[in-house]
Amino acid sequence: MFLRILRHEWSTLRADATLWVVAGVFAVAIGYGVWNGVRWVEFQTRALAGAAAEEQERYDGLRQRVDDIVKTGGQVSPFADPRSPSNVGGRLGPRYAMLPPGPLAPLAIGQSDLLPYYFRISTDSRENILAATEIENPQRLLVGRFDLAFVVIFLYPLLILAVTYNMLSAEKEQGTLALVLSQPVALRTIVTGKITLRAMVLVGTVLVCSGVALALGGVDLASPGIGLRLLLWAGAVAVYGAFWFSLAALVASFGRGSATSATILASAWLVLVVMLPSLFNLAVTTIYPVPSRVEMVQAMREASDDASAEGSKLLASYYEDHPELATGDAEQAMTDFNMIRVAVNDDVERRVRPVVARYEQQIVAQQAAIDGLRFLSPAVLMQEALNDLAGTGTARHRHFVAQVDRFHAEWRGYFTPLIFQRAQVTSFDDVPRFAFEEEATGAIARRVGVSLAGLALPAALMGLFGVSRLRRYPVVG
Amino acid sequence: MVLRIARKELVEMMRDGRFRVLSAIVLAVSLVSLLAGWKHYTDLSRQHETAAASTREQWVNQPEKNPHSAAHYGVYAFKPKSQLAIVDTGIDPYMGVAVWLEAHRQNEFKYRPAQDRTAVQRFGEMTAGEVLQVLLPLFVVLMTFSAFSGEREQGTLRQLLSLGVRRRDLMMGKALGIAAALGLVLVPSVIMGVVAMALTLEGGLLAGDPMRAVLLVAVYAAYFAVMIALALGVSAWAASSRLALVILLSFWFTNSLIASRAVSDLASALHPTPSAIEFQQAMQADLDDRAPVQRRLDERRAALLREYNVDTIDALPIAFSGISLQEGEEYANLVFDRHYGRLFDLYDRQNRVHQLAGVVAPMLAVRSLSMGLAGTDFLQHRDFIRAAEDYRRDIQRILNGDIVRNQKPGQVYLAGRALWEEVPPFDYEAPATSWVLAAYTTSLLVLGLWMAAAVAWMLRAGATARVD
Repeated sequence: MFLRILRHEWSTLRADATLWVVAGVFAVAIGYGVWNGVRWVEFQTRALAGAAAEEQERYDGLRQRVDDIVKTGGQVSPFADPRSPSNVGGRLGPRYAMLPPGPLAPLAIGQSDLLPYYFRISTDSRENILAATEIENPQRLLVGRFDLAFVVIFLYPLLILAVTYNMLSAEKEQGTLALVLSQPVALRTIVTGKITLRAMVLVGTVLVCSGVALALGGVDLASPGIGLRLLLWAGAVAVYGAFWFSLAALVASFGRGSATSATILASAWLVLVVMLPSLFNLAVTTIYPVPSRVEMVQAMREASDDASAEGSKLLASYYEDHPELATGDAEQAMTDFNMIRVAVNDDVERRVRPVVARYEQQIVAQQAAIDGLRFLSPAVLMQEALNDLAGTGTARHRHFVAQVDRFHAEWRGYFTPLIFQRAQVTSFDDVPRFAFEEEATGAIARRVGVSLAGLALPAALMGLFGVSRLRRYPVVG
Repeated sequence: MVLRIARKELVEMMRDGRFRVLSAIVLAVSLVSLLAGWKHYTDLSRQHETAAASTREQWVNQPEKNPHSAAHYGVYAFKPKSQLAIVDTGIDPYMGVAVWLEAHRQNEFKYRPAQDRTAVQRFGEMTAGEVLQVLLPLFVVLMTFSAFSGEREQGTLRQLLSLGVRRRDLMMGKALGIAAALGLVLVPSVIMGVVAMALTLEGGLLAGDPMRAVLLVAVYAAYFAVMIALALGVSAWAASSRLALVILLSFWFTNSLIASRAVSDLASALHPTPSAIEFQQAMQADLDDRAPVQRRLDERRAALLREYNVDTIDALPIAFSGISLQEGEEYANLVFDRHYGRLFDLYDRQNRVHQLAGVVAPMLAVRSLSMGLAGTDFLQHRDFIRAAEDYRRDIQRILNGDIVRNQKPGQVYLAGRALWEEVPPFDYEAPATSWVLAAYTTSLLVLGLWMAAAVAWMLRAGATARVD
């Protein structure tokens, strides 16, 4: 019977132009979305390749200069000496710490257009290093991208509602519902059949179109965890769809007319997808305001003024903290510019840390609030899930910055002893390199799993409630 | 007759439960967004003022040092908040807040506030501007879609026309009635906005630029007029209320949510932005090419030696090192102007695509104008970037000039507070309103066009609409 309903629905839907218009619009939007995503990933890849090439070229140049100096035994200014650890660790030899686009990056641009995806690591202060960003037209950042995630989060539910809002009311208004129900078939079965078919068409369109577009755009199927990610992505699309289908079923079970059902569903979409997320943003930025970074700029400046003023005193106390670095002629070392700089940097960072922590704290508080609030809006849940899967969300970026922090410490740990021993950089191959460690797929799956559960639970509740209400559905009148 | 119809429409709407619920929601959301906008504005402008004062303090309190060391120390410029950012924050969250003005280099603005927020901000800001641009048109659609078709479906249209009511009067009256209802919802917000702005200004409301606020209100009024006329036209033209609603909702969705993103991607495909690495490398290559500076220095050296009739630069009564520094600056300035100029022109071209695309989606024209009048658009950021950079160049000129006059060969020259105070504090004045309007003529034209077309279409649809 169920199959017969499916077949019947299919032939009626097929004859209706709405479905084809909807599917056509959808396919075009998906194609455009993926194309934009793929272009953005290509842009990032090109920029990263450019950075890597620049670094390679610079290091080749350094090696060449060292060879020249050694060969000719020529004198070189201490400020330009390519063997000086202070120069190499600072101006001459920075290496890039890069965040490569994740395997499913074209699917959701997320925060990746806003948060920097590479840093130039040197002995400079952490805050200066992290302040660098990709250049972009600010208006473009404001508007956001037309990527697949946008199509899925905004358009997909609307299309679902467009093909389901009158699935029962239209039959009732045309008088065919009573006719159908005169047959030995439950209303529940009919509704389930109608939804199943529509879900197959729409979910299928998203999955097939984006799959094809991705295959054309080039996704590395060999990257680790890709299978699980793709599976979760398909699951997210299905569960998000299920949420909206259940909502439609619930509203249909009220037995109202087509116009009223449409109004209720459109309002629900507007509130859940457009208004709540913006209001959440307004709420968290008002309750946990992050002060303007101008305060941090000024604090850094004051700290560095103070630290520079007492540079040599700082060096003395630095030696107290790091006796292992004190060489025999510590007396003379006091005057050594580079050593003072290390001590000053260290001190500035210590003074600025509480200021920076204030920003971090507010951002973390905002994120925690959103992590709670997101269960009120399927759109926010879906956004987090898609960003996590694409690796363009805040979590993966934090993961990257944490690694950058460790690498920065390693970098300093490599150069500082050399500076204090007044040694030279002998081999550029020993200069630390950054390698991004991808987030564990398990961790992503857990986070995405929570989001999906947050979508699935209300979907199941609404669906069950809707279906159970159908028993009291006013078939006529 | 028009007024009588308008009054009837208004009274009917006020008695409608839907209207009361919707207007309560709109009113609440716009008040909340205004309040939040006001709070953000006061917080941020206080922080920026404090920072600006303290960067000045740091500058004048520098210990004695060589002027060029001071040039390297530099100052920071922080963009002051425009007052109408309470209504429309525009690109403010996506533009760096601070730029370091140092010797030899035009730096980029750093620290975009948006980077300190969660991903949810990408759904939108819910500023008063967004309420006006996105939510209110929807409100108009929901209030208007059945205004004409409803009369037809209830059979009252035939009665009306049989009384000799002119169709033109009917349409105008309905439009006016809906506009009045919308006004009722908006007036409290406008009053609150004005009060909020008056509170934030020390010299009272007129200390700001009231012209901008007035024009902003006019732009939104024009936008709502377009939406009302369109919705009424569709209501008359469509075969049923239901069809009118579907058409209008699709238009609303395309206009307020799809168009801006689609156009943004299109604009960047037409005018691709370079990556930061490409940009920096190209600029650095030009900066590293010292030949032009060298040539220029050789000329000046020869000229000076001739002028003072000496053999070596050490014998000159002025310090050549200062001249050399300044020549380096002048050359670098040309490079910066070329590269940043090209980049910013590119952004302008991308943003112009948005303005032009207003022909398809009037919201794009309205948003450009709204950000422009609020002073939170890219053009005015660019003006601030220019002002900050001019200031940086002034500082270099003053300091290098001092070196030229005072540094003696073979001696350590230190300058003090007197010189630091010679550098005036950075004072930025936002461009005049007329400048903004001139920059957005395209959007103004587009909005005017929409207005004329929408009203014409409404009247035509009313004139040719079927009676039943």
